[in-house]
Amino acid sequence: MAIKVLAVDDEAGFTKLVKMNLERDKEFEVRVENSSNKALSAALEFKPDVILLDVVMPGMDGGDVLTQVKKNAALANIPVVFMTALMAPREVGEKGFQMSPTGIVLPKPVNLDTLKKTLRDAANGEPVE
Amino acid sequence: MFGKKSKPRQDEPPPPSPPTERLPSAKKSASKQTPDVGIFKEIIDNLPIALFAKDVADDYRFILWNKKQEEVMAIRRQDALGRTDFDLFAEESAAYFREMDEAVVKKGTLVTIPKEIVETKEADSVYLKTAKLPVEHNRRTILVGFSEDITEGVKGREQLEALNQNLTEKNRELEEAHLQLIQADKLESIGRLAAGVAHEVKNPLALLVLGVEYLQSGIDADDPNIAVILDEMKDAIGRADTIVRGLVDLSSDRRLEKQSTCPEELTDHVLLLLRHEVVRNSVVVKRDFRCNGVRIDVDYGKFEQVLLNVITNAIQAMDEAPAELHITVKRATLGDVPRNLGARDATHFRTGDEVVVFEISDTGSGIAADDLSKVYDPFFTTKATGAGTGLGLSVVRKIIELHHGKFKLGNREDRRGAVATILVPTIKS
Repeated sequence: MAIKVLAVDDEAGFTKLVKMNLERDKEFEVRVENSSNKALSAALEFKPDVILLDVVMPGMDGGDVLTQVKKNAALANIPVVFMTALMAPREVGEKGFQMSPTGIVLPKPVNLDTLKKTLRDAANGEPVE
Repeated sequence: MFGKKSKPRQDEPPPPSPPTERLPSAKKSASKQTPDVGIFKEIIDNLPIALFAKDVADDYRFILWNKKQEEVMAIRRQDALGRTDFDLFAEESAAYFREMDEAVVKKGTLVTIPKEIVETKEADSVYLKTAKLPVEHNRRTILVGFSEDITEGVKGREQLEALNQNLTEKNRELEEAHLQLIQADKLESIGRLAAGVAHEVKNPLALLVLGVEYLQSGIDADDPNIAVILDEMKDAIGRADTIVRGLVDLSSDRRLEKQSTCPEELTDHVLLLLRHEVVRNSVVVKRDFRCNGVRIDVDYGKFEQVLLNVITNAIQAMDEAPAELHITVKRATLGDVPRNLGARDATHFRTGDEVVVFEISDTGSGIAADDLSKVYDPFFTTKATGAGTGLGLSVVRKIIELHHGKFKLGNREDRRGAVATILVPTIKS
């Protein structure tokens, strides 16, 4: 069964590429939401296994969306993976991601394998290493 | 006084005496035409002009030396009479005088020397304006000279010139310092922008990475995604390039180099550089562009800096919703220019002048009345430490001045918030 990913990012071009890449070998099913304000309703509708969330967005940013998701009983347990262009490569380290109090943070640009593995592990409830 | 030889001629009838009987000497003047020699002596001695005479035949020795001459030369009459220039003055000066004297005698008429410097043996140098005249008398040639002491005037002029040079020098240093200030502010802007620009570039890069990875996994000619991916990639490259070029433009160091510029394009360019700040602060940008093709003659990089500083200030002033940035760029004819600009800005502008007006207004807390006069002071800032050096507005004002424009910052009249107004003359077509 395909892992359901809700990708929330204001850059339409980027989310298009994410969807194409993740869905290519049928491992994932991706729903794209470019307007952060609609992220919550999209999540309630789509019921993703993992939410992929950009940090810097107009209107509600990634942090705001996370807060909303956690407050909603139906969504609170869905793992969230952040993506951001804000980090310097050095800050990220060799693993390719960073753990923050709010979860995993992936730096942009991210390579496909790292993205898939992170989403896979998060959706399966496994500790991400 | 230096003009004519005033020797009365004996064969002419005397001028009619005034019709009065009170002057007893009136009768005597019929036989005596010239006043007493004694009176002449008094006149000569007390003239406010230095007067001297030399006996040409007798080695140009001094035979006349009036009081003013004593004063000017700082040599007493008794020490001068009977002596030559070589006894009284430095060798070089004396030789020069002799040369002049001989030339005058040879020429036979009055010669004026507009400026000569005399170094006496005891006193300081003096500057003189001198006239020399050979006079024949009793078959003797006498060289008569009158000098005016122009030392004060000359020294005054010299001092003025030195002061002027000093002032010009200081002025140049000040301009230099101003340009350095502009440069310092520019570097600060670049620093602030770098984080935002990096973010703006990383997003296109993220797209490119995914696009390449997709293509690397195998290109199937029938896959409709390929065309879409390639399109998106091209687009992303364009976006990244634009923003990096904008940053490079900003960092180039040039003096004021003006070029014909479209004010609307320039404004959009700056907004692009600030896209990250705009998004991060959830600012809604309203653009009201009405230039109708009119252009301005400005230094692109520096004017970019102006708009960057002003718009950044506006964005940073709005830390709570709603955050609305209103930018108007329009052409206008002076006369219908916003009133808040003030009358003293008339130096560069005349009514009827065509200008481009930039109005940048925000919905922040506005500027406190106390601060209004201080905003242009270098290093004055109301921002938290580290959030800005406070150079921004002093640099803005300086750059606009260099462009013969006008800048005004104040509070909005329609609601809370500040409004910055910039006027720039248009290029006359």
